[in-house]
Amino acid sequence: MVRTSNLKFEYDKKSEQFRFPDISLDASQNLLILGKSGIGKTTLLHLLAGLLPPMDGSIEIDGVPIHTLSNRQLDRFRGQNIGIVFQNNHAIQSLTVIENLEARLFFAQKTISQTVIKDLLEHLDISDCKNKKIRELSEGQLQRLGIAMAMVHHPQIIFADEPTSSLDDDNCTKVMQLLIEQAEMNSANLIVITHDQRIKPLFTKTLAL
Amino acid sequence: MNIWKISLRNFRFKPLYTFLGILTLSVSIALLVGIQQLDKSFRGQLDNNLGEIDMVVGAKGSPLQLVLASVLHIDNPTGNIPFEEAKGLMKNPMIQKAVPISYGDNFKGYRIVGTTDDFATLYSASITHGRSMEKPMEVVLGASVAEKLGLRIGDTFQSSHGLIEKGAHTHEEPLTVVGIYNTTHKVLDRLIVTGLETIWEVHHHEEEHKEEHQEEGEEEHEQEITSLLVSFRNPIALLTVPRSINENTNMQAALPKFELERLYQFTGVGVKTITWIAYAILVISCITIFISLYRMVRDRAFDLALMRSYGANRFQLAKMVLYEGVLMAGTAFLMGILLSQIGVFFIFEMIADQYKQTMPLQLKYQEVLQTGVLVLSMVLLSIALAIYPLIKMNISKILSHEK
Repeated sequence: MVRTSNLKFEYDKKSEQFRFPDISLDASQNLLILGKSGIGKTTLLHLLAGLLPPMDGSIEIDGVPIHTLSNRQLDRFRGQNIGIVFQNNHAIQSLTVIENLEARLFFAQKTISQTVIKDLLEHLDISDCKNKKIRELSEGQLQRLGIAMAMVHHPQIIFADEPTSSLDDDNCTKVMQLLIEQAEMNSANLIVITHDQRIKPLFTKTLAL
Repeated sequence: MNIWKISLRNFRFKPLYTFLGILTLSVSIALLVGIQQLDKSFRGQLDNNLGEIDMVVGAKGSPLQLVLASVLHIDNPTGNIPFEEAKGLMKNPMIQKAVPISYGDNFKGYRIVGTTDDFATLYSASITHGRSMEKPMEVVLGASVAEKLGLRIGDTFQSSHGLIEKGAHTHEEPLTVVGIYNTTHKVLDRLIVTGLETIWEVHHHEEEHKEEHQEEGEEEHEQEITSLLVSFRNPIALLTVPRSINENTNMQAALPKFELERLYQFTGVGVKTITWIAYAILVISCITIFISLYRMVRDRAFDLALMRSYGANRFQLAKMVLYEGVLMAGTAFLMGILLSQIGVFFIFEMIADQYKQTMPLQLKYQEVLQTGVLVLSMVLLSIALAIYPLIKMNISKILSHEK
């Protein structure tokens, strides 16, 4: 469940101020945010994910007004309730695949369950490379690991920033299916931010910036 | 999974940088600890070699030379003094013990010292094998001498004239080993001890030979010794006795502690220079550690921002960098101590070989502690400098500039 109202943000006094339309999502509802680059898509994502404090307005996730939380509380809230699939960088370089998932659970302060990790890796079809270093993975494997990293701690909301921009049609569909399916399994909200028109039909609710 | 484990993984992720940082730091630690240890060992060894000797009386000349020759047994004596005159000094009530020594010969470079049984008590030595010398031509060996030359009780050898192993000419009368002292790590270990009579007898015979060729003997042969080693009953004697000897007799009195202090002032310059070089290397290695930590923070800014997005707080990331720095410093410290001990061991071996003096290899924790505290504070400073940008990190900015 996500509610925002009157969200505003500016990087500094000189630059243009971003004003974002209000968002209201019920439990398990998905949202596609479409917009050209430079319009503040990533800024909105960072605001919603608690990575950036808003200049004005309110953000409520699962009834928690995250714009009022202290740094420490926000770190904790983000770790436990939010999962982000990044565009390119998906995991910590110095750790192996399995260690990355363990670290993700550790920082989220959740119990590290090997069965959960194993099931997830199997489901995403990357259990073969669980002991590989990040730089040894292929593009496709990295993308799947990115999804695993955003899911393993059972978050309330999953954000995906341009998850399909570098993929061909086939892989685009596969990745989106995985994301939607995983969000459903976790009964989480999925918010995808993209300029990729191909995935528009997969969402009932869209927001154009 | 915990912060330590991640730090350990980071530590091993770029081994070359890590290794370079550790290497320079460990070299500087090795130098600092090694220099301190060598300096302390040398001073300790010299002080130790003084035993109970408060004053040396010998022929006029350089007081330092007298001390080096008669106390440390590394220089040539200044000359001889008449035994009768020295005996007169022994009557002074301020003097607790006065041990005459007489030089002249060596065996394979080991000095033969003619003296009395009291000589060994100056170094609190005892005889482990055999007995003390009773008759002329009987000798007791220092522990190193016995070991290096492989001599045993009952063995005989012929001494050579002079104090260095050049073998100008060999005396005919053989000396017999009757005893061996325990290891003292003092100068006694490298000496061959015999009665005063042995020296007199050997050289007297020689002179008799010469006299046969000459017209006739001069007056009756006067007994001479090289020097007299003295320990006082009371420290006040240090102020009065040497002065009265120097003013009233033809002999010279020198205070070993004072002379050695003068010697340290000369050698101290070298030690200071090396110590400053070690400090310079320490600063450089701390900069290296800072750079490698700073690089780690900067190069892996994205990883660190990712961790923040996973829920890690600033404190956890700072802890991670701190652990990594401490791991580097700790490894460097252990390596440094190890390196210094290997270095000191070889230097001691060299000294044992060249100066025939063994020293105990021991490391006092105070010395290590001092260097440890210094290194730790330097490392903590560089860690703090590396952590600073981490605290100030703007996660959103880093994450939105994905490459």
